[in-house]
Amino acid sequence: MLRKMIEIRRFEERVERLFLQEGALIGPSHLYLGEEAVAAGAIGALNENDLITSTYRGHGHAIAKGVPMNLLMAELFGKATGTCKGLGGSMHVAIYPEKGSMYATAIVGSGVPIATGVGLGLQREGKRRVVMTFFGDGATNTGAFHEGINLASVWKVPVIFVCENNMYAMSTRADYAVAAESVAARAQAYKMRSAVADGNDPVSVYLAAREAIDAARNGQGPTLLECVTYKLHGHGVYDKGDYRPEEEVEAWLKRDPINGLEARLLKANLATQSDFEKIEKEVAAEVEESVTFARASPVLPFDQLAKYVYVM
Amino acid sequence: MFRVAMPRLDPGMQSGKIVEWLKKEGDRVEKDMPIVRIEGEKTTFEVNSPGPGVVRKFLFEPGMDVQVGQTIALVGEPNEPLPVEAEAPTTLEPVVVQEAKVAPPVISRVAEPLASPVARKMAREAGIDISKIKGSGPGGRIVREDIQRAIEQMKAQPVVTAVSAQGARAVPVARTIKLAGKRKATAERLSYGFHTTVPVTITMETRMEAVLEQRKQLHSQTGEEISITAYVVKAAAKALEDHQMINSSLEGDELRIYGDINVAVAINTPDGLVAPVIPQTNRRSLSEVSRDIRELTERAVQNKLTVSDLTGGTFTVSNLGGYGVDLFAPVINPPQCAILGFGRTSERPIIVEKQVRAASVTTLSLVFDHRIVDGVPAAQYLQRVKELLEDPKKLE
Amino acid sequence: MPELTYADALREALREEMLRDPRVVLMGEEIGVFEGVYKVTRGLLKEFGPERVRDTPISEAAIAGAAVGAALGGLKPVAEIMYMDFLTICLDQIATNAAKMHFMSGGKLRVPFVLRTQYSLGRVHGAQHSQFFPSIFFQVPGLKVVLPSTPHDAKGLLKAAIREDNPVVFIESGMLYRIKGPVPDGEYVVPLGQCDVKKTGSDITIVAVSRTVTEALAAAMKLEEQGITADVIDPRTIQPLDLATILESVRKTGRLIIASDDVKCGGIGSEIAAQVVEEAFDSLDAPILRVASPDMPIPFSPTLEQAYMPNAQKIIEAAKKLIG
Repeated sequence: MLRKMIEIRRFEERVERLFLQEGALIGPSHLYLGEEAVAAGAIGALNENDLITSTYRGHGHAIAKGVPMNLLMAELFGKATGTCKGLGGSMHVAIYPEKGSMYATAIVGSGVPIATGVGLGLQREGKRRVVMTFFGDGATNTGAFHEGINLASVWKVPVIFVCENNMYAMSTRADYAVAAESVAARAQAYKMRSAVADGNDPVSVYLAAREAIDAARNGQGPTLLECVTYKLHGHGVYDKGDYRPEEEVEAWLKRDPINGLEARLLKANLATQSDFEKIEKEVAAEVEESVTFARASPVLPFDQLAKYVYVM
Repeated sequence: MFRVAMPRLDPGMQSGKIVEWLKKEGDRVEKDMPIVRIEGEKTTFEVNSPGPGVVRKFLFEPGMDVQVGQTIALVGEPNEPLPVEAEAPTTLEPVVVQEAKVAPPVISRVAEPLASPVARKMAREAGIDISKIKGSGPGGRIVREDIQRAIEQMKAQPVVTAVSAQGARAVPVARTIKLAGKRKATAERLSYGFHTTVPVTITMETRMEAVLEQRKQLHSQTGEEISITAYVVKAAAKALEDHQMINSSLEGDELRIYGDINVAVAINTPDGLVAPVIPQTNRRSLSEVSRDIRELTERAVQNKLTVSDLTGGTFTVSNLGGYGVDLFAPVINPPQCAILGFGRTSERPIIVEKQVRAASVTTLSLVFDHRIVDGVPAAQYLQRVKELLEDPKKLE
Repeated sequence: MPELTYADALREALREEMLRDPRVVLMGEEIGVFEGVYKVTRGLLKEFGPERVRDTPISEAAIAGAAVGAALGGLKPVAEIMYMDFLTICLDQIATNAAKMHFMSGGKLRVPFVLRTQYSLGRVHGAQHSQFFPSIFFQVPGLKVVLPSTPHDAKGLLKAAIREDNPVVFIESGMLYRIKGPVPDGEYVVPLGQCDVKKTGSDITIVAVSRTVTEALAAAMKLEEQGITADVIDPRTIQPLDLATILESVRKTGRLIIASDDVKCGGIGSEIAAQVVEEAFDSLDAPILRVASPDMPIPFSPTLEQAYMPNAQKIIEAAKKLIG
């Protein structure tokens, strides 16, 4: 899990530099910096053949699910070798059905009823597979969210609804916009199981996810899992996030999930500093290679695009 | 009086069947008491009385199908008169919805005349001037049909309209030769000449005894054969020396009086008429002219004349005498001013000192362009030619 | 040949496809226990059970979204949106998600589902329960849009739509559910993307969809009495559109009328007219006319609704305008 978290962190940092310092990337992009524990912990608890659906803040989910970094970076560069052949971009980069990442939507909340549908498919398939879907605190205010989880509860589909509550929907605070005690509390209105995890502690997330996954696999229906976490930077890559109070930001920085995990591993003698350095070195090389790969890749010729409108 | 009407039990229902009357005529009923059972598409329903009263009349038997909305029963007071029932519901008057008409700006960019795209295309392709067509479409628009009609009419019209169809004799065509090449070029040139020049013909009878005598003598002296044509050509050329106006051409506004005298000789070939030129004819001796003519004729017949042979002529001489023609007025060879034609030399009766005598005569015809010279100078020129021919010693 | 109602023909299509392919699952409001507001799904719950015929809460976004997800998850869902008016509630799922998923994923994702809906213009349902706006989908490439006008076409097209690999919006006409027509026994499919020439003639071309096809045929018969013959063409699928058949007819007749129940401005006729002018300008002998609903919401009052709707008389008047 630590490796996954470091992969996500370094990848996102590199992407940020490509955007802001090198000006090499363009368009909206929403980085997963600071939330690594959620993806690593929750997806880490899934089986290889379980499915996920993601959103525009999906780089982290993609990496956690095993989507090759080269293909992610190429997609960000809009190249034909990207996960979506350059046709999707940052907000849809996580789409990689080969590894079970079934969809990534850019419309807040719209992925929830879609996940319900995927769950229906798995339910009918009868092979005890589950689907995990991610969304933020803001999504829980949309109509699609409520319709989606209501229907999921009615149909008792094997879905784990993971809400990454990073306390802000762009600049709108969750404690203002969410008219409920907590996101998890909303599940009660739909007779759905819920849980809350510390989104900056991968182990906490893992354990909570595990329980929800087992329940779904055993036909006990969906769970709403709220993971409370924080973004290191703003909503999108260009957003400074200066609507957030300084003390709040600093407090959360002290709870950096990677640092936290490393400290615990060292303390429990499960890893050494040189282990960490080794990982960092390998990851750095992997990230750099993905940039080289992406830069060298071609773009799809325009006259090829028409054939992607329909399945022919 | 309350009317009980056939209800609409579901949105698509058009008619219902009366299953059974639950009351009898004359029964007293209260408001909302069921009085009849109705069957719709799939459901059966009881219909209640709309008000208190006595069942006055059932308008249909059980088992009958009734349109939705029609009255099926009447409930009222016993002494109330039965109303005259309007049968079917009143027909709905169609309401005309006025579509908001937005007046377009008056500036019209419609190409005049008004015609549909296909009409324009067809007219263009058929070479029809669309402005001459009358449109039969809406608003006077010229439409496809109009052009189709115009094309039919075009095809039906013969090229020459002078002869009416009735009673005209149809002539079978034995052979069609398309005018081309030399023939066509000649035709075009002569036609052009004919239409631009103002040709006038003057003729003079000329005594040829002296020429004939000289010919005979030369032949017996040197064996040389000099043709009559050579004499005429040489005479014509020499005479032009003193009558330069005739050695000219008029092109547009420009009258060109040539510096050289180059007489062209009309020669008949299987391919048609050609007129090769003897350059500076007046400077050639009679023998030379005769030889030139012979040589040009040979080459002409073999189709070996060059461009140089055929250009630069300033005057033309044409002889049809060999074919038995006495006199003819040839066509001026444009852009030259004149052409001299002559026919055969024959024995004719002449009057000398009031006596009829036989003489060898040929008739010279000078056709000249009156735009360039008038009759008198032309006559004077021809006079000189006659003079030279009647006294050939003057030719050299 | 046996005759079926349009609604029964649709049911047969659903039933046959459900028997043929266990992945076909129905979902929608009132489709199970109530057997469908227009009885299209009558008997299906009984035959296939609640796992395959799923009544849903009133959640258009969830219905459409679940259909998208179920398709991703390996099923072949047929979702019903009771009235086309409710489509706008789930437009995000259909237009912004489903239509684009294949393209956005570089060809990786397939979302094979059918979204059935109907429009009730003519049934006095008022402005919010009568709308018909299929041309909205021209603006979201990636969907297929199908409009059957006869029981024969309804059954064949629905079967084809269910077997499609792309998302299909299948628009039925509420006014047509009860009409009867010949439907062949045995297996048959009507391919998507093909016009049907329902009548031939040589003076004008009338293109009509859904309910207006019957109006166009009635108009054509009436015009024939006056010596004017018409090609009546039913595109059946408007996305993708079989323009070639329409062009062939226009090149023959030179005159085109497009009849449809949607509002005139920006309706189906607008797009077809533009395409025909672009491709066959030099064949046009007259302007192209659209017979459509006026640019206003649908009035409730029955006589007003009748006056609002396109009908055979309006088509005849348009034909007269073209011929003069």
